[in-house]
Amino acid sequence: MTAVDLPHPHLNLAGLASIPGADEPQNRKDYTSDQEVRWCPGCGDYAVLAAVQGFLPDLGLRRENIVFVSGIGCSSRFPYYLDTYGLHSIHGRAPAIATGLATAREDLSVWVVTGDGDALSIGGNHLIHALRRNVNMTILLFNNRIYGLTKGQYSPTSESGKVTKSTPLGSVDAPLNPVSLALGAEASFVARTIDSDRKHLTDVLSAAARHRGTSLVEIYQNCPIFNDGAFDAIKDPQSRDESVIRLAAGRPIRFGEGGGLGLVRDTATGTLEVADVADVGEEAVLVHDPNFADPSVAFALSRLTDLGHSGRTPIGIFRQVERPTYDDLAREQVTLARDAGAGDLQALIDGRDVWEVS
Amino acid sequence: MTYVIAQPCVDLKDKACVDECPVDCIYEGERMLYVHPDECVDCGACEPVCPVEAIFYEDDVPEEWSAYVQTNVDVFASVGSPGGASSMTDLLPDVLPQ
Repeated sequence: MTAVDLPHPHLNLAGLASIPGADEPQNRKDYTSDQEVRWCPGCGDYAVLAAVQGFLPDLGLRRENIVFVSGIGCSSRFPYYLDTYGLHSIHGRAPAIATGLATAREDLSVWVVTGDGDALSIGGNHLIHALRRNVNMTILLFNNRIYGLTKGQYSPTSESGKVTKSTPLGSVDAPLNPVSLALGAEASFVARTIDSDRKHLTDVLSAAARHRGTSLVEIYQNCPIFNDGAFDAIKDPQSRDESVIRLAAGRPIRFGEGGGLGLVRDTATGTLEVADVADVGEEAVLVHDPNFADPSVAFALSRLTDLGHSGRTPIGIFRQVERPTYDDLAREQVTLARDAGAGDLQALIDGRDVWEVS
Repeated sequence: MTYVIAQPCVDLKDKACVDECPVDCIYEGERMLYVHPDECVDCGACEPVCPVEAIFYEDDVPEEWSAYVQTNVDVFASVGSPGGASSMTDLLPDVLPQ
């Protein structure tokens, strides 16, 4: 078999370059549908919806060229509440449908709304292949570490030992780390944010939308009914300075009161460790570079979680690199094939690779 | 649209709603509490926990307290959108309806 060098037609094209702009300025109401929002009182989904409705006007795209595709779950009701195009689609298969849309229609801004159950249980396969292919879409993965719609069973991100209706003696499963999974699947944009931090959520989603390729944004989202308080340590004003590590490109990764703590490389193990900046010195603190081609450091960052030994969670953009997208390359091939002139169907059926079984 | 706190909260300030709000958008004034109209995400968590039923969806505020819709807007005129009540150190100066 042979391989060919693929063209790189849109390597430097911005994520939204092929999408028509709005004719006139928009506001939040333009993106608010007439549907009554039906989530439980206090659900984190309300906060994410408000943030998305608030920042979509700033993207300045034609509403008719935006589509939200969801799977199944509480968060997958999202498309009903946005006055854009939308599909409440098949369980776990939203990335597959979005792949088709993004490939057939380069003039669409394609979004996927999914949850930890939809994306990582039944849809795990579709998620990793969308990331691997780098299809031009933005995936919002609402992670509440529980099955909410089915009323409180453990999910693929529930912590080990968690007692739920389906694990009365405690879960014996190890949870998935969505950011680590995405980095392992060659994702070109991976970020994490928190439902209740409107500004951070907006900044991350805005960067994700502008990225060309698949953007995965894990959103820590509180389920007040079946897993209330899952992220309290990250949200509580008393503890959040210590437990949240805010990532900013080009800046030393420091956190805690007065930035007294920092992340340093453990050269013996290849991991990142939390250190007192006063002890190790400012120059030893890792400077965050999400654009670095090799994902190893981003992966090491992703291993720090509130469930792990550090008890701390990085939020922000872990990785943001440019590489060719599946849909750009596929369209380029179609164009090249068309330019080559009319094909010969019979010759294709007859084939060139003939063999005889004797 | 947003939730609104009305007259029953005045001089009471139970604050059960503050603990319940997932986005920290209920601010304390000298005499009552206020929902920030731009920071509220309409989730409705505050409404059922209020012991004196002072919280209403904007469209459902009783006629006699309708002025409180504007009160919950006006009280933030001087501070804008602080992005979280827990960051406030001072109580908001009240602008109660006459």
